Amino acid sequence: MTHSKAASIFNKDEKKVNWHDKALWFVRHKRDIAAHTVTGWEELRNLGHGIKAHTLSNLDTYLTQFEENALKNGVQVHWAKDGDEHNRIVHGILKEHNAKKVVKSKSMLTEECHLNPYLEADDIEVIDTDLGERIVQLAKEPPSHIVLPAIHKKKEEVDVLFQEHLGTKPCDGDPQYLTGEARKHLREKFIHADAAITGVNFAVADTGGIVVCTNEGNADMGAHLAPVHIACMGIEKIIPKQEHLGVFLRLLGRSATGQHITTYSSHFKKPREGAKMHIVIVDNGRTEQLSRPDFRASLHCIRCGACMNTCPIYRRSGGHSYDATIPGPIGSILSPGKDLKKHSTLPFASTLCGSCSDVCPVKIDIHSQLYKWRQIITKDTQQPFVKKTSMKMMGNIFAKPTKFEKVGKVARWSLRNLPKSMINSKPNVWGKERDLPLGPKESFDDWYKKRQKNE
Amino acid sequence: MSSREHILSKAKENKPEAIALPNIDLEVFKDAKVLSEEFILKVETAGGNVLNATSDKDVIAQINTMFPDTKVNFSTLEGTESFNTVDLNKLEKPHDLENLDVLVLRGDLGVAENGAIWIPDHQIPMRVLPFISKHLVLVIKKETIVPFLHQAYQKLGNTHNDFGVFISGPSKTADIEQSLVIGAHGALSLSVFVQ
Repeated sequence: MTHSKAASIFNKDEKKVNWHDKALWFVRHKRDIAAHTVTGWEELRNLGHGIKAHTLSNLDTYLTQFEENALKNGVQVHWAKDGDEHNRIVHGILKEHNAKKVVKSKSMLTEECHLNPYLEADDIEVIDTDLGERIVQLAKEPPSHIVLPAIHKKKEEVDVLFQEHLGTKPCDGDPQYLTGEARKHLREKFIHADAAITGVNFAVADTGGIVVCTNEGNADMGAHLAPVHIACMGIEKIIPKQEHLGVFLRLLGRSATGQHITTYSSHFKKPREGAKMHIVIVDNGRTEQLSRPDFRASLHCIRCGACMNTCPIYRRSGGHSYDATIPGPIGSILSPGKDLKKHSTLPFASTLCGSCSDVCPVKIDIHSQLYKWRQIITKDTQQPFVKKTSMKMMGNIFAKPTKFEKVGKVARWSLRNLPKSMINSKPNVWGKERDLPLGPKESFDDWYKKRQKNE
Repeated sequence: MSSREHILSKAKENKPEAIALPNIDLEVFKDAKVLSEEFILKVETAGGNVLNATSDKDVIAQINTMFPDTKVNFSTLEGTESFNTVDLNKLEKPHDLENLDVLVLRGDLGVAENGAIWIPDHQIPMRVLPFISKHLVLVIKKETIVPFLHQAYQKLGNTHNDFGVFISGPSKTADIEQSLVIGAHGALSLSVFVQ
């Protein structure tokens, strides 16, 4: 399904769309307030960009260094070429420990690899423990946002979902009560878990340690109670030194939710006494993206979600309309690298306003990359007939000033005189939800000439 | 070729030409904020509260009035053994701490810009403690407060920790309609004593 078609489904409930739009803009606003309190914020973003660019240019060296130090720390390190191998490795570790009940904290990587269904097929219970993730897991949906997984759900929907699955009382969607019930339900799961899976926010090459950031404390509740901790990371999570965390942790929380730092920033180096720790390092298309000079900066991403919160398209089309693990602007430059055909409409789901690039904490040129993907996609994939012909026609008109003038005259007259039913006829999709302005009597060119004459 | 070799060789093959590592110049971040005031403000912004204490005994005395009816308490502060109702040596597994009401720990340093307190493993007898306790109390010395995370990591650079955590405020979530709820999976409240 194309993005615009999926978006039109989300747009059927106008009230909900308006709420979604405002809720995300509110988060963007909180980000602004937090960022503006930091002296040298732009310098901090430059550093974030520079450190990531440097790291990618030495990626193999830093990965090797990280592995060496992690092994010294008593952590077992695994490498996975793709999602399938990642799933097999995680499954193998769980089997080895006879683990049947697994608690998982937020990890977009395991979503990308579709780990849950893989493990569930072997009767392993996987519980997502981040509240938002648990909500979408119960609803059998993917997350619609990387930081706020259930942002598309109204509290009344969560109320009904919890009544059905957790046996809660009807409460008109009282967030306090629902969160309290989820805490009880998940506490039980933490206590009885055989293994904990977490994501990785940053992997530090010079210490072999990993850092996991949460507000809820779910990653820690899982990892410190279960006998086995498996941390899954993409190869781009590497940073050279521990001191660089000073840059990235200052950027991450503020960009994500407007917090000055997440509640917990946990630094794991060695497994706790008597427990095991594994790290799975995954490629799954990342080295391929690294080979593309125009798009490799997309690997700088620290998954804060700021580009989603600010995007006028994302806010009004919802995360599910992107049909990709990572939605929004950053997802639209990552996904075509994985499957150009499947994701060929995503780079067009943008106004190219550039707001995403403005808020990106590691200064990824997201909107330029969207534009560049469009060039490739238009060449490599079949475009709809109407779009192809109209683009050709427009190109023709813009190339010849006399033709442009003639067509302009007709268009201005038409906009003034033709009935709305004709102006907003089917091929004009712009007229679907909005009216075109009344055509002016003269063109800019005419007005300019007249003005010069009068001077 | 193993997956490890495959990934490393592709990374080597596809990476761009070497780009220099930027230097971090801390001068550009300097502001006129007063450390202790900023620290209090940021702990409160994160949902915690800050109190003053003259000694460890004073901390415990204040906690006893803050939480008069709690059943299970544990503190790592020296000379406060009478406050403790659990003996960690007798615990078989960390899961038995599930009913812990109040936990008092010492933090190594505080960060003014975000109210975070660094708790390394040598301050925590069991890693799960600060997360599983209902109420968390952290005690830091005023002179350990640094302006930014950069200075915090400079200090941490000289220490070896197998595990450590920055904690800023009590656990929280806003996953239901962006309504902030204090108390997700970790502590329901955070009190910070500055000595």
